[in-house]
Amino acid sequence: MSETTRQDSVQQGNGKVQTSHHPETDPNRKDKHYYGIPPIKHAHWTWQVPVYFWIGGIGAGVQMFSTVAQILGHGDKDLQRVSRYTVLVTMVLSPILLIWDLGRPERFLNMMRVIKLRSPMSTQSWSLVAFGNLAGLIAARQAAEDGLLGTDNVLVRLTKLIPDRLLSLLALPVGLNVGSNTGNLISATSVPIWARNWVFMGPVFLTSGLSTALSWLSLYLRLTRSGRPETLHALHRAEKATILIEAGLIAASLFRMSRWAKPLFSKTVAPLFVGGTLIGGIAAPFALLRGEEDRRKSILASVLVLIGGLAFRFAMIRAGRISADDPEAYFTFTSGENAPQPEDKV
Amino acid sequence: MATGFLTDTTVCIGCKACEVACKQWNQLPADGYEFTGDSYDNTKQLSGTTWRHVAFIENPKKRRLTGDVDLVALAEDVTEPLPGGAELDALGRWAFMSDVCKHCVAAPCQQACPTGSIIRNEFDNVYIQPDICNGCGYCVPACPYGVITQVPNDGRAFKCTLCYDRQIDGLEPACAKACPTNSIQFGDVEDLKVIAEQRVQELQDKGYTQAYVWGTPEVGGTGGIDGNHSKFILMDEPEVYNLPRHPFLPQEKFRGGVIASAVAATVLGAVVALAFRD
Repeated sequence: MSETTRQDSVQQGNGKVQTSHHPETDPNRKDKHYYGIPPIKHAHWTWQVPVYFWIGGIGAGVQMFSTVAQILGHGDKDLQRVSRYTVLVTMVLSPILLIWDLGRPERFLNMMRVIKLRSPMSTQSWSLVAFGNLAGLIAARQAAEDGLLGTDNVLVRLTKLIPDRLLSLLALPVGLNVGSNTGNLISATSVPIWARNWVFMGPVFLTSGLSTALSWLSLYLRLTRSGRPETLHALHRAEKATILIEAGLIAASLFRMSRWAKPLFSKTVAPLFVGGTLIGGIAAPFALLRGEEDRRKSILASVLVLIGGLAFRFAMIRAGRISADDPEAYFTFTSGENAPQPEDKV
Repeated sequence: MATGFLTDTTVCIGCKACEVACKQWNQLPADGYEFTGDSYDNTKQLSGTTWRHVAFIENPKKRRLTGDVDLVALAEDVTEPLPGGAELDALGRWAFMSDVCKHCVAAPCQQACPTGSIIRNEFDNVYIQPDICNGCGYCVPACPYGVITQVPNDGRAFKCTLCYDRQIDGLEPACAKACPTNSIQFGDVEDLKVIAEQRVQELQDKGYTQAYVWGTPEVGGTGGIDGNHSKFILMDEPEVYNLPRHPFLPQEKFRGGVIASAVAATVLGAVVALAFRD
């Protein structure tokens, strides 16, 4: 019904038989809603999930940087050590956070009952298992070489049989899936802001994961004054490039989300998204990294990127909640060509 | 054989017997005393503890009672102008709809479920196995109809089982059994489809040209869901009943997202490799 006819009928209603409350005359309520009650339900996910997205992204990015360095024959022992231990720590924390968030944590092993390639949650669980185990083996070899397992006992001799370089190569695609699947996982839902951005959601999470990973490596190596100068130089250049790609992908995402991106600029999410991510996590660090390499500036930039990456994940999850709770967003999304259709091309 | 519901909203009187019967049979807990202040509907929506929900839709834009209202004519479903200049559209004034899980042909919740807890049972209904569900909550945002929620304190997700236990014993679901106007009909999906088409034809012959079946692949089942085993006869736009016009299968885009991510990973790998160049 058009706006004018509705207005007419409201006006006609005045002075006529009135038996009850009139939803239509409520100025806060728009047409075609059922009392503003959300037609879909938001996910219950609490803080553990965005924190996992952040930590898992760092693990994936670190694996990528260190494996590329390994493939190129860049033998920086400090980089290798911090990378392997970082991936191990992220892969220990990730399942803890995810199990914590389950409604029935004691049943977490049910995730291993089936393999479902259609369920991003299932592929994510399996990727974590694979990546975690590989990271554990690689880190064990590292620990043996670092003398953490004692000297010349059976355990050390066995551990040194682990083919760490081969396993690193195997862990790369699995790790990349952990990093990007977080984005694909939220876009494979009915939530307008997430579902609309299915093309860029995986890439933007992966890129953001890589930028936080590079920042973590750079921060650690600079704070401990370790690592070869070439490593630091490569990190510096990669950080700048990754931040630029991330900015481009976020811009593309906003363009793709179009009107459904509104929750990102709402009162509660804008400080996180605009302040924390766009300004604090992208613009400011990029400005700091421009020009000559400087230890202090680089450390500050790294901290900002890490905080910005965390803010981005909280912003995305919170925006999804607002988007799911907004009947107008969902109904405009599902009332035509806006919704993803099967015939859509990549 | 696939079983399902046909909910004919045109004969629903909003008695909420289905809600009560469902709560009682399935031993669902109360949702608390909540007063919305919006309408007579205080159970608001479907959830993990409300598997049938009767929507009370007040439709003042169609509510035209002028002159001397003939209550007998109103009850008898008369649509033509009445003596004394009174006009009315009996079906348009109030709309009730008993909402329920749609039991999609290609169910998004089932595809989302990482534990395999959500299955199709022998009656081709979408069923959550409560002994498997670990409460990851991923089915909740996947459902395009907002049917499933995670029940607080319990932790697991629940929704309409289409009274799986009653069906095994050859009984019809509690809501359909309790419905006094036969607004909720239970049976073979193919039979219900025929009944629905006949009823819509009957309504259209009576002059209610806006009547249609929602939940067929043509209406309310595009985007890969392939229609629903819970069909509805509606008299207004789906949004009025808090239903989406064109729901979509969220997982349809997962493959595309993975491909896009693989492309991004390759580009990022190249960028990192270039950063090592002197």
